[in-house]
Amino acid sequence: MEEQPGLSDQYRMSSPWPMLIAFGLAIAEVGIIWPLAPLAVGGLLLLTGSIVGIVREAGYVESPWPLLSGFALALVAIGLALFAYSGGAFAVNSVSESLRTSGSIGLRGLSIAFAGVIALVGALVGKYWTTANAGHSV
Amino acid sequence: MAIEGQIALTVLMGALLVGVAVWLTRLEDWRSYTPLAGGAGGAIGDESAHVHEEKPAGIIRWLTTVDHKDIGILYGTYALIAFVWGGLAAVLMRAELATASLSLLNNTQVYNALLTSHGITMLFLFGTPILAAFSNYFIPLLIDADDMAFPRINAIAFWLLPPGAILIWAGFFVAPFTEAMTTGAATSWTMYPPLSVEQTNPSVDLMLLGLHLTGVSATMGAINFIATIFSERGEDVGWSNLDIFSWTVLTQSGLILFAFPLLGSAIIMLLLDRNFSTVFFAAEGGGTILWQHLFWFFGHPEVYILVLPPMGIVSYVLPKFSGRKLFGFKFVVYSTLAIGVLSFGVWAHHMFTTGIDPRLRASFMAVSLAIAIPSAVKTFNWITTLWNGSLRLNTPMLFCIGFISNFIIGGVTGVFLAAIPIDLVLHDTYYVVGHFHYVVMGAIAFAGFAGIYYWYPMYTGRMYQRTLAKWHFWLSMIGTNLTFFAMIILGYAGFTRRYATYDGLTVGPVEVITAMHQAATLGAFLLLIGQIIWVWNMVSSWIDGPKVEDGDPWNLAETNMKSREWAWFERKLDTTIATDGGAEEEPLADGGEPTESDES
Repeated sequence: MEEQPGLSDQYRMSSPWPMLIAFGLAIAEVGIIWPLAPLAVGGLLLLTGSIVGIVREAGYVESPWPLLSGFALALVAIGLALFAYSGGAFAVNSVSESLRTSGSIGLRGLSIAFAGVIALVGALVGKYWTTANAGHSV
Repeated sequence: MAIEGQIALTVLMGALLVGVAVWLTRLEDWRSYTPLAGGAGGAIGDESAHVHEEKPAGIIRWLTTVDHKDIGILYGTYALIAFVWGGLAAVLMRAELATASLSLLNNTQVYNALLTSHGITMLFLFGTPILAAFSNYFIPLLIDADDMAFPRINAIAFWLLPPGAILIWAGFFVAPFTEAMTTGAATSWTMYPPLSVEQTNPSVDLMLLGLHLTGVSATMGAINFIATIFSERGEDVGWSNLDIFSWTVLTQSGLILFAFPLLGSAIIMLLLDRNFSTVFFAAEGGGTILWQHLFWFFGHPEVYILVLPPMGIVSYVLPKFSGRKLFGFKFVVYSTLAIGVLSFGVWAHHMFTTGIDPRLRASFMAVSLAIAIPSAVKTFNWITTLWNGSLRLNTPMLFCIGFISNFIIGGVTGVFLAAIPIDLVLHDTYYVVGHFHYVVMGAIAFAGFAGIYYWYPMYTGRMYQRTLAKWHFWLSMIGTNLTFFAMIILGYAGFTRRYATYDGLTVGPVEVITAMHQAATLGAFLLLIGQIIWVWNMVSSWIDGPKVEDGDPWNLAETNMKSREWAWFERKLDTTIATDGGAEEEPLADGGEPTESDES
């Protein structure tokens, strides 16, 4: 196949997921370290969603939804554990203020758990209200 | 941040996610042709059916590509942008140092931030990615592989870099808009605590996060190269006839595998120290010297991570224009492996003046001096390859020879620094700066230029402008030696590094120091002019240069030097001309048959 111009071989030469995984990781990282809840939630959703997408694309799983709900449950567990560790405190801090108050740790925990809840809802909606798990067309 | 800010962020983030979702559904059309993942396409047996729509068109191609050649181009473009940023930071610093007092920059913290950004950018955002550009594009071609072993991982590794760069540079962008951030991170690239822990500037946190991402990226890339070189070689590519560039990248990847995860862990510890009251590097905990051990256990192998593939490029290109095979090929490979192993046993030579145990110091001095042996083996082999060869002094060859010349100066000054008594005198002076810039600019960047010019016809399909390329070489060669030799003299004069001003000097040879600073600044501007010419040459030739119609633009067949990647290029040219080329550039209406216009 190398005689074909611009081709390496016969397989899909493009995938939308790698870029989204990288951006999701970066956004989630910033959102969690600096407790910026919207970035943490959005970044984690982008990251887990894209990981599920790429795993499905590579054919390692048939349907994306069980894997997505697995990630979702893990996020909920981690988030709630962090929230419990902070003693149930919760505060929206300024970036320039201290990042290590129990309130800001609680905020991190809640944002991670919230991302998990949204991912879980997404997985359930995907499983029961769409046809996307049947084929390979997404 | 106030609650309004959080709401605004939420809206932005929601819009981004919705945008991503919409984008993904729109991609469905072009993705439906896929022959992989279980039978949807059923097109595996019919090669011609999906020749033209393997890649989507326009910008989407570049955002979604998993083709090693495209990713190589992306790496190269990214590295070029980083090179411009890091280079301009250096020019600003040198302009400031032309006069003894602060005259150009607002304050010394801006100088410190530029210094930090220059170092981190050149090492992590230019040096490592430009090498990844070469290895991504050429290693699959050189070892006759279809692609990298893990094409998608390859793409993830690249796409981690742009957010990494944005985070590392963030301080400069965000500081004007917020009170909390004064300027870019000013920790120097070594990030020594307690300075890096005590600086309250949040841009340090962002820089650490960005560095962490680039470390993850480098590690993913390294795993991919190791897997590719081990398992994807073509049938007639064995270990005995593996090319020298692949050998050096294999060794480099091994070094990355052991060095970068350690940097990532140390960075996380530093982040925890900064934000979560841990004491990893505090005096009451692990101590500040712990950071230096961890950092340099990564940092010194990083030097060889950066220099081994350029050595591979020189070992690969030099023989092509010497008309004879690389002298002592086996020993060049052995010396590569030896450098790889020894590089992990020299880190404390950066710490001779920290008061570590003198017996430890002596052992690190011995290993550091020993690493001169494999380096010299390579140098003598390059010189012997040139000896009595029929040399062709075109631009790639000039940069190879410039590499050897500068590497000798950079290497020999390094041998001096490896000796404890000399290091105690010269530590933290401009001598060190001159030494490592001879290696990173004079050698590593020169080898990069050699590779960029040598393979230019292959990845652009066009020829660069030769006269401009010669200007680029000579300005770079003279500029490098003027700038960095002046720094070596500055070091002998006792001038310490990392200072923005020198108007308070009352001891030492003040006139010499002033003159050398001005000479170094002049050299930096020569370098700037040279690199402007280079960028102009690369861009304008890519757009408008004469098309390469010969699959062997360097006439390598004459000396029996034509290698596998040029054979691939020749086949590519033949087929491109036959089909009138350009098909992959054009958007396709559907995912199916080639249209008539494609065939005509």
